[in-house]
Amino acid sequence: MESIRAEKVVKAFGETRALNGVTLEIRPGELFFLLGASGCGKSTLLRCIAGLESPTSGAIYFGDRDVTAMAPHKREAAMVFQSYALWPHLTVAKNISFGLEERKVPKDETKRRVEEALAMVKLEGFGERSIDAMSGGQQQRVALARALVVRPKCLLLDEPLSNLDAQLRIEMRREIRRIVKEFGLTAIYVTHDQEEALAMADRMAILSRGVIEQLGTPEEVYRDPRTSYVAGFIGETNLCDGVIEKDANGYAVRFGQVRLAARITNPDWQPGDGQNGKVSMRPEALRIDPAGQIAAKVVEKVYLGQSIQYWVETAFGRLQVVEQNPHRIYGPGDALMLAIDVADVVLLEK
Amino acid sequence: MRKEYAWTIMVTVVILFAVFFVYPAFTIVGEAFGKKGGGFTFAYITAVFRDPVYLEGLWNAFALGIVSTAATLLIAFPLALFSHRYDFVGKKWLSVLVLVPLILPPFVGAVGVKEMLGVDGALNAFLIDLGWMEAARPYDWLANGRFTGIVLMNALHLYPILYMNIAAALSNLDPAMEQAAQNLGCPPWRRFWKITFPLTLPGVFAGSSIVFIWAFTELGVPLVFDYARVAPVQVYDGIKDLGGNPLPYAIVAIMLVISAVVFAVSKLVLGRSPLGTAPRPKGRSNDVVLRGVKSWLVCGVFVAVFLFASVPHLGVIFLSVSNDWYQTILPSELTMRHYDEALGNSLVVPSIQNSLFYASMATLIDLLLGIAIAWVVVRSKIRGRAVLDSLVMLPLAVPGLVMAFGYLALSQPGKPFAFLIGADGNPALLLIVAYAFRRLPYVVRSAVAGLQQSNPVLEEAARSMGATPVRTLRKIALPLIGANLAAGAILAFAFAMLEVSDSLILAQQSEHYPITKAIYTLLSTLGNGVQLAAALGVWAMVFLSVAIIGAAVIGGKRGGLFKV
Repeated sequence: MESIRAEKVVKAFGETRALNGVTLEIRPGELFFLLGASGCGKSTLLRCIAGLESPTSGAIYFGDRDVTAMAPHKREAAMVFQSYALWPHLTVAKNISFGLEERKVPKDETKRRVEEALAMVKLEGFGERSIDAMSGGQQQRVALARALVVRPKCLLLDEPLSNLDAQLRIEMRREIRRIVKEFGLTAIYVTHDQEEALAMADRMAILSRGVIEQLGTPEEVYRDPRTSYVAGFIGETNLCDGVIEKDANGYAVRFGQVRLAARITNPDWQPGDGQNGKVSMRPEALRIDPAGQIAAKVVEKVYLGQSIQYWVETAFGRLQVVEQNPHRIYGPGDALMLAIDVADVVLLEK
Repeated sequence: MRKEYAWTIMVTVVILFAVFFVYPAFTIVGEAFGKKGGGFTFAYITAVFRDPVYLEGLWNAFALGIVSTAATLLIAFPLALFSHRYDFVGKKWLSVLVLVPLILPPFVGAVGVKEMLGVDGALNAFLIDLGWMEAARPYDWLANGRFTGIVLMNALHLYPILYMNIAAALSNLDPAMEQAAQNLGCPPWRRFWKITFPLTLPGVFAGSSIVFIWAFTELGVPLVFDYARVAPVQVYDGIKDLGGNPLPYAIVAIMLVISAVVFAVSKLVLGRSPLGTAPRPKGRSNDVVLRGVKSWLVCGVFVAVFLFASVPHLGVIFLSVSNDWYQTILPSELTMRHYDEALGNSLVVPSIQNSLFYASMATLIDLLLGIAIAWVVVRSKIRGRAVLDSLVMLPLAVPGLVMAFGYLALSQPGKPFAFLIGADGNPALLLIVAYAFRRLPYVVRSAVAGLQQSNPVLEEAARSMGATPVRTLRKIALPLIGANLAAGAILAFAFAMLEVSDSLILAQQSEHYPITKAIYTLLSTLGNGVQLAAALGVWAMVFLSVAIIGAAVIGGKRGGLFKV
């Protein structure tokens, strides 16, 4: 187990800066997610850590080793590629044993470890197959086995599940997490799928335009987003403009007649009374409650069985509301009142 | 696309191919196996193998094919690898410049080389000048190295074809393939042998089979080097007594079989290749940007190959402007009079007009057929479209010499193709047909590549708005693949202008000669015939370099054009 550290990493491609001073530390044995929309720099950061790209400035450390200038193959960081990059001219077993041959591992041990690796990804008996004879999910497992068989200190995964169908993706999530934890690997996982990150990550960093917007556990990032970008990117949310009010009891937000108690999540931001701000309210945090303060009119409903989604019109804009286990169904045109707890009204910088 | 259209095109193409391609090729086979009075015999084939002179000729041709291919590979592979992997000084220009050797028919280049490397040539003059060689005992590079000379000419002319094939194979490789190996600890050199090389083998085989067949059946270069003991030259010499002697047919049949086997083997390797189903590259590549000395070294390799490959061209250019070039490094006196005289020569101007006419007509036919075939292959779902795709590639496998011979035999008075010969013996139609079918693969390949890259949804959208299939083709599909078509057409045109076998064998009267035959005839004309030939060669070079650079620029993604 090893920690991975990036310090002020900058990567410029000509004029554009894919990474603009990224600093982060990944703890030993952690499954860490790099998350962001395409073009945010997450893959570039991973490739810098793997050594496939060298940073324009800044440094990368594995434990105490400065690996910034080290050749990729000496870093002991095995990578799983988005396209799997399985060699079509080699069999499944040959693909897996490749790294062992490079490390001059004796023949019988190689054979044993390849068998083990196949068993670990539940592909016993597939060793002599050709790559083309494997389905997408199986290829994904082979790619994973190929990276793990060399017993790397850390594992780098570049959108490993993006080529699989939804069902398989959910199955492989648990599989990958199980394997990473079983091996005690420090792993970095790049994805644009926020659900994947919430479901699997120990901690995650959300990148945007080459900088880290927020870093934290899934709960922290979901519950306490610090920017409206993060609030909108992780999960569904209602972002509304309002006026901030500050008094001895704390913060509140006013939308015309409606005033809601609110909280701030970013300790570095101390807005003043009367300042304009944004508010994030999760759809599932809004309750249908006759005692609520927000008057709303249903515009559209989507019934999903276990839950129901409403789009409602309020004095300050259109909101999405999700009710779990709905007993009474409202239809378009129905008027209702909404309530929300102070903990769920998050004030954000505009 | 409606099935009836697809079937109509398919049937038309198959019939045209059967008549103008398969029939002539099999006529040769028929002549080689058919007894005079009818019936079947192996006698002529065995006679060839019993005759030590013919056997040696075949063996020499085979050896020329193999050694030329190896030499071509040695030049092409490093170039392709360098340009794939590194970013270096002048890369953009150099990767187009290395294609330049294609602009000269190799046998014209051979004339230039003779001037440069002959006993009284520029190299010896240079060595004598340096005092490294005695003026009284000059070394005859060519007489002692005729085989080597031909190999060199072939390699220097053909390496661009292989270069483009390998470059295409490399760029179709997912960069993550190599990065994965790198990530698992494989150092660069071993990575090349274990991953990159095996994965590019299909491209190497595809290109090599074309190069082999080309070198194996090359007629022009051995003719100019006076290398008579090689099968194509023996066949060419055998034309004189075509009516009586069946042995040239037998030799051509044997060459056809060997070529077909080589082509089939390469197809087999290609078909089995795991790359057949490989996805398009997805990973990000990282070109290594070379700096300083390394960058200049790689640049130097490209420049060296380019310079070396231009020796024949330089020879031809010098020859065309030299009054007297004998035992000196450069021509002692420069003149433009050969160009003047060439314009007045009864062969030169008509031959340029003829070639332009033949090549344009052939290209036009290729375009029409090529678009139709590509449409069926890519957009229709009819059965047998894969067969059609392979069928139209066959002209790459059949030596030009074989086809020329087949056309010659079938166009004799009273034979089925006699109608293609004009009343005054004008071979225009015959040559156009011959050129068109031999160069068709280039246009088909580029059109297929273009259609595959453009999204069929764009055409479906036009159809859904009420456009007829023909209008959709004209307004949507063709404009989208215009660049591909132009690149393919330019190559087809250029290679039609340079065609040697058909031109030499089928054009019988001087007023109908194409450029290549005019050059060949001028070479054996007394007086300043050689210089006139060189002047004509320079004209051809100018035409073709414009055409090929145009194709390379328009085509953008090079390589696809030459893939089998």
